[in-house]
Order: sequence, then structure tokens, then C-alpha cells
Amino acid sequence: MMRIIVTGALLSLAGCQGIQSPLAPGGDQAAALHSLFLLMMGVCGVIYMLVLGGLGWSLWRARSASDAAVVPERGLWAVAIVIVVGLTVLIIGSFVADRAVFASRAHGAMIVRVTGHQWWWRIEYRDPATGRWIETANELHLPRDRTTRLALGSADVIHSFWVPNVAGKLDMIPGRRNILDLTPRRIGWFRGQCAEFCGTQHAHMALDVKVESAAAFDAWLATQARPAAAVASRGAAVFAGPCAACHTIRGTGASGRAGPDLTHLAARRSIAAGTLTMTRGNLQGWIAQPQALKPGTAMPSVPLSGPDADALATYLERLR
Amino acid sequence: MLLCGCSSEAREVGPTVPQTAPIGEQDPRIAYYQDNFGQVAQGGRYFLYYGCAGCHGDGAQGARDLTDGRWKRGGGFAAVFTSIAHGHGDRAYATRIPVEPLWQLTAYARDLQRHMPEKRRRQALDQQAEPRGAAWWGPQ
Repeated sequence: MMRIIVTGALLSLAGCQGIQSPLAPGGDQAAALHSLFLLMMGVCGVIYMLVLGGLGWSLWRARSASDAAVVPERGLWAVAIVIVVGLTVLIIGSFVADRAVFASRAHGAMIVRVTGHQWWWRIEYRDPATGRWIETANELHLPRDRTTRLALGSADVIHSFWVPNVAGKLDMIPGRRNILDLTPRRIGWFRGQCAEFCGTQHAHMALDVKVESAAAFDAWLATQARPAAAVASRGAAVFAGPCAACHTIRGTGASGRAGPDLTHLAARRSIAAGTLTMTRGNLQGWIAQPQALKPGTAMPSVPLSGPDADALATYLERLR
Repeated sequence: MLLCGCSSEAREVGPTVPQTAPIGEQDPRIAYYQDNFGQVAQGGRYFLYYGCAGCHGDGAQGARDLTDGRWKRGGGFAAVFTSIAHGHGDRAYATRIPVEPLWQLTAYARDLQRHMPEKRRRQALDQQAEPRGAAWWGPQ
């Protein structure tokens, strides 16, 4: 029995080094929060041990003492001093971490707009060549060792931006833009999640975050800025029907803005804000029955004939 | 008592969404869409998404006014559905809007006349930052 409990406890810790964990910081802001966490664990751990020690000592004394207990005044003073010092350290630590997380940093005009929708993320970068905003969705790319400034907003209800490996949470509030600076230091894929209950599919509002070298990031951004090649395929014709009213594919006539921009859809890792992985089968399933996969989503079910669905999937798969 | 209203919000989950237009005014699917607040409200969002509010928004006059209870081609569910899907000339909504949103839009359009202008204005305010048509550029 004991062995099972210990194994279980160890297993629950195994998840802490993952792609969505504040215990594996991959950026300055997350590192500041992580140090604060360790400090709190240390100080509170010492105080917890002291309290338990005092409790044990008093139980032991009550059994062994015969006379009225003598209050050891010096011991009480020592405990009081430890508690006051501990709390002071915590307050200072909290203040310092807060300053580090929310300090404004030099971001070199690197601003990304992130807008929460029920239930996906609209992400806008500025094209370095033209200065125009270009749009993508549900996948945030960040250059390593550079500070990126996020302007967080919402189109409907309150959401909360949280990528634990990179930074703490910040609410996304309709009608205002909250500013969060991120300075990632570790290359890799991370996972973010909406951290404020925002409706039935709150749990399916995830965000893929890729931290990459500055050169790889610049290349990615240049690719994103390119419009899709105009092709005259059956799939493109199908898309121009029921899809184009809500989705944009830059470079084609599709310019709806209610749903995510699909210009480079196939280059993304997942579909519908982390609900499904990006595969052809999932794409077709998502188009045919989104309400069965993510009930309540604004994406309507689009009934297409078999060949049309196939052609559409082929077309979307090439949007890289 | 407070929970009594919840059944009118109930939503079906699964592959039961309509694949066809309503068949006559007696179609059994009509009651589900028209009497379900969730479906009507979803119709309200699509009303913005598809840009309907551009012509049929607050203050629309004559035949474009959807709130006066008068219908050019009949006010039955199937009649309104047909006017949305096929009655807009070149806009050809039947091919540009999938079937289920058409059901929801119809329910919303028929629901509009039952509300005070204040309530409609309130909804418009609530949805101010939501996407509308091609021109929308998001909350700044």
C-alpha cells in the first residue's frame, strides 16, 4: 500500500517538467515567479516545521511534566522573530518578483496583439517589411532572448492569458488592452491555456507557443506575411462558398473576420485552439461536425459531399 | 424556481444538426430552434458575423426592418428561412451560409419583434467588439 502511495506521489511530480508547467521556467518572467515559489516553499516549510515541532514538544511535555508548565519566554521570542523575519522575507520576495514580472522592458517595437474569443486566440503580428498587421491564430511564435510585448484584449468575455513556462497569468478584458512583456530564454514548444472560465469550451481554449532562435523566428514571420498562392482548384471553389464569410485566406477573395485567419493553416500544429492535432482526418472531421467535437463553438457544421470535402481538405492542407 | 428556465437553454450535442431546409411550417425541428434561447442567441451572433446587421440593424426602414412584425413574404418559419436563403439576389446566402446557421438566423429574425428596442440595443452593445462582416478589425 505504502509503495503505491509513494509511487503515485512521485508520478504526480513527473508532470512538473512538462510543456505547461511553472516549475520548468523557460523565460525571465517565469524564472522570477519560480524563484518566488521556491522562496515561499522554503520559508513556509521552515515555519510549518517549527509549528509541528512546537506541537510535538507540547504534547510530549504535557505527558511528562508534573507541575504547572513553565512558559519558556526566550523560546517564544525566538519563534516570534522567525515568523516576523519569514513574513518580511516573503513580502520583499513577492515585491521583487512582481517588479520583475511586470517591469516594462525594451522590446524593440516587437508588439503582438492577442485577442481572446470564445474559444480561440486571434494573434496579430506586425509585418516588419510593410508595417501592416498580419494575422494568425492559436499559435504564438516568440524569438529567444528578445523581449516581445503582448497587447492582450478580448472580443467577448474575460479570458486570461497563461503560458506557465514563459510567464504568469494576465487577464484579457473586453474594452481594454493589457500589456505583458515576455522574454523567453529556452527554445521549444510550450502550451498555454485560457485561465479564466469563459464558457462551455473554456477547457478547449489552448495555445501552442513556440520559442525559436531569432533567425528562425524572422523566417517564420516572413512566411506568415506572404499571402497564400491563388489556385484555381475545386477545393478553393468550395472554400469560397460557406467558409469565406467567416474566414480569411489572404491573397484570395475570402475575407471574413469572424473566425481564425487560415492563410497558413496547415503550418500550425493544432486545430480549434488545441482541440485536435493537425491532420487531414481531423480537418475533415472538424469541418463536418464541429459541434460534436467542441459543442457550442461558433464554427457551424458544414455539410459537404464526399468529393467536395476531400477537395477542401486537399486545398487546406496546402496552405503552409 | 430559478432553475425552471434552464430547459429552454438545453442544447443538443452530436450529429443531429439539420442538413436540410425546413419542410413546410409543420416541420418538427422548428420548435427546437424557435423556442431555444441558446439557438436564438447563436443566431444573433451569426447575424453580426455574416454582416446582416449592416442592412437590418437598428433603425432599418421599411422591408428591411425586421422588428415590426410585418413580413413581405410571410412570417412562418419556413417562409422566413426561404427569404434569407434565397431572397437576397446575388448574395446567394443559401450557398454561403451552412444550413444550421440559417436555422438559427431564422429563429433570431423571428424572435426580434418580441423584444423591446432597449433589449435589442443592449444586445448590440454587448456584441460591440465581436466580429462583424469583412470590415471588422477587432477591439483596438
